[in-house]
Amino acid sequence: MKRLKKENVLPFLKEMNKTEKVFCPQWVDDRDLLFIPLGEGEYKGDIGKTTISVKTLVFPQTEDIISFRGESISKIIDSSKKLLFGIRPCEMKAIQLTDRFMKRDDIADPHYLSKRKEMTTIVIACHEPPSDTCFCIDAGGMPYLENGYDVQLFDVGDFYIAIAGSERGEEILENKYFEQGIEEDREKLEEIKSKARHSQNNKPGLKNAIEILKEEKADEDFWERLADRCINCGGCVYVCPTCTCFNVYDIPSQGGYVRCRSWDACLHAGFTRETSGHNPRPTQGSRLARRHEHKLKFDIINFGESGCVGCGRCSDTCPVGLGAIEIIQELNKL
Amino acid sequence: MAGLAATFGSGAMTNSIQEFDDAEAFFVIGSNTTEQHPMIASRIIQAVRQKEAKLIVADPREIKLAKLATLHLKHKMGSDVALLNGLMHVILKEGWEDKEFIKDRTENFEPLKAVVAKYTPERVAEITGVDKDSLRKASEIYAKAKRSMIIYAMGITQHVAGTDNVKSCANLAMLTGHVGYPSTGVNPLRGQNNVQGACDMGALPNVYSGYQSVTDPKIREVFEKEWGVNDLNDKAGLTLTEMIDAAERGDIKALYVMGENPVVSDPDARHVSRALRKLDLLVVQDIFLTETARLAHVVLPAASFAEKMGTFTNTERRVQLSRQAIAPLGGTLPDWKIICEISSRVGYPMNYDSPIEILDEINRVTPSYAGITYSRLKGSWGLSWPCPNEDHPGTLFLHKDQFARGLGAFDAREYIPPAEVPDEEYPFTLITGRVGFQFHTGTMTRKISILEREAPNAVLEMNSKDARRLRVIDGSIVAVESRRGELHLPVQIKQDIPESVVFSTFHYSEKNINELTICAIDPVAKIPEFSCAVSIRRV
Repeated sequence: MKRLKKENVLPFLKEMNKTEKVFCPQWVDDRDLLFIPLGEGEYKGDIGKTTISVKTLVFPQTEDIISFRGESISKIIDSSKKLLFGIRPCEMKAIQLTDRFMKRDDIADPHYLSKRKEMTTIVIACHEPPSDTCFCIDAGGMPYLENGYDVQLFDVGDFYIAIAGSERGEEILENKYFEQGIEEDREKLEEIKSKARHSQNNKPGLKNAIEILKEEKADEDFWERLADRCINCGGCVYVCPTCTCFNVYDIPSQGGYVRCRSWDACLHAGFTRETSGHNPRPTQGSRLARRHEHKLKFDIINFGESGCVGCGRCSDTCPVGLGAIEIIQELNKL
Repeated sequence: MAGLAATFGSGAMTNSIQEFDDAEAFFVIGSNTTEQHPMIASRIIQAVRQKEAKLIVADPREIKLAKLATLHLKHKMGSDVALLNGLMHVILKEGWEDKEFIKDRTENFEPLKAVVAKYTPERVAEITGVDKDSLRKASEIYAKAKRSMIIYAMGITQHVAGTDNVKSCANLAMLTGHVGYPSTGVNPLRGQNNVQGACDMGALPNVYSGYQSVTDPKIREVFEKEWGVNDLNDKAGLTLTEMIDAAERGDIKALYVMGENPVVSDPDARHVSRALRKLDLLVVQDIFLTETARLAHVVLPAASFAEKMGTFTNTERRVQLSRQAIAPLGGTLPDWKIICEISSRVGYPMNYDSPIEILDEINRVTPSYAGITYSRLKGSWGLSWPCPNEDHPGTLFLHKDQFARGLGAFDAREYIPPAEVPDEEYPFTLITGRVGFQFHTGTMTRKISILEREAPNAVLEMNSKDARRLRVIDGSIVAVESRRGELHLPVQIKQDIPESVVFSTFHYSEKNINELTICAIDPVAKIPEFSCAVSIRRV
């Protein structure tokens, strides 16, 4: 167990940035909090909740995956070293869920896995919810993690208590900016965790919503009624830390072509429309149902855990009030 | 815009978007709100469902909002004035008008009374197809609710009677005292993110910024002083539709088009191309090489919204700051810089440092924008005009206590039929519009693969009964012919469209529906009608 003084965060990040690219939440124009390369915004110490989750660094909005020219075809793999500082526990959990999906033996995704492998993760536990829409506890998580990170930091005011969660994490804690902790820190840590466990008032009732879906109480009318308001912008999907749907297309480049992939959304009709014109998800209601059933029903069947980590980003972003929180609340009325 | 300016003194939404939440009754006419203004539609839907607001939809098509409506009036194409006069007839007959409001805040009431007296429910039913009971019910809902809102869009303005339609909406609102209060008013929904801003800035033939008339010598003096010039032109210029006609006649020799694609967006497209080809000089300034730019002698590549800073003014009169995200690509310049360069080269040096300096000038010469300064915009989500000074919070709703023009002016209008009605040779009415995934002529949205996937090609929407009669199925190709052109389109059978009416969109230049549409224009606003009569046959 070590300590990292808050005044040392920036010097530490700057030093790390010499050998690997450092990303952390920074403010742009005092308006947007984004998880971007160190120096591209203003780091203000306040980690908060970024508009778009850290997913964008392992699964970018658009990336080149293959280049081909004449007979030659080559895979494009990004295996640059990255250090991500200030990941929220819910985002880290989302990455863990995504790992399972991307690592499935039959269809491992090399583009994701290469980035993931070279990524150092420094999580900062939430001693209090960064926003009103946070509901990780209701979603079965915690505002801190038990495992699956390299380093986890706990906010104690002037400094962070630092715990290593991996060999890489132990290495990081050897850095000169991390100071030896004292015995009392252990108590403090438990105190923070206990306080954090009771820090969230937002309880939309995800567990019960899962039961309602299991019992198939949400019928077509239920979803169509909600979908009347859905404007099909895909915003909820793009900001979601566990959504990984993508579209693939080729663009001409230097006499050949580059195959790219970009985020896509299951809410768009074209995502499921077949060449014949037939669409197995023909209405906006059926697509909205699909999206939420995927997370709250099928992920549980496939992976034993819900695909919603309770970060609340969809509810922050949806311009018509149809994020996970509102959907869960509506389900609970059934 | 001309219609509301004449009656209220200001041609903009009277209310702000947030006020939709608290309206008690909505009267939506000529607006497919869920497709074109989905954020506003979402508020209407919530108000209807959660607060039991009443919703009247007047539209020949069974649009999505119509399914949620308390009452759906399927009036015939182009019969809006008759319908609105009919509503006023019933309201006056039943004594549901707001007598105090009429007396204190309006003028010219007597002529209105005389005109609407002629629009008996029987006559209205004949013109519009809306039955007596529905007309009465709609009148009652609209008149009796405390906070009633009229919402309209291009569905009523793009007609030869477009200005009449708008004036009739204004008449209805004034008759019932439904304007000048929160969540109560007349709300034209603007079709583009900054069309309000463009109008506000005087991108109209007859006004400077803030709708200050070019014919008013006092106003000209203000601008002459600001710009250090003498003898600014005191005559109103031509509207877009007039310019195209003048080009065809040879009266206009040069045209400078910025961010507009009239070859695809304007009615009677072949006429537009023909006219533009006659010009000695056509300059097009755009971010992509549009169909219009392809005809140009000079193309000026402009920077996109992401490559520049400036402001947009949205439909609720809210001026918002837009920040630059990336540097201009590939040798492009922001529009303001291009204009400065050209102006300087033709002999009037313009040396603005940045859009901030331009906004400073706007503040100086535009009373309604005087308080909308850069420093205030920087720290806020925008300000709605009128905002006359830096301490003013901006205006959520207009015409409180008095109209912008003083007294609200009733302007009674008579029904006139559309320019081109179906006949034996051309038995269908073609209406044009948009889908939510494409924007206008698609110069931007059609370059985005996911949007293109959602709405990849032009279709002709048709009622199933008409389809049976023509012996076509979903996907059959038909020839659609008007007096001006012919186009082959795949059929899409829809239940929400009435018989003898077909619908298509103008997003697709390879199937340019505007080769068929008509350029009959409203005599006041000069806005074209677009809708026209067509014949359809299997091919």
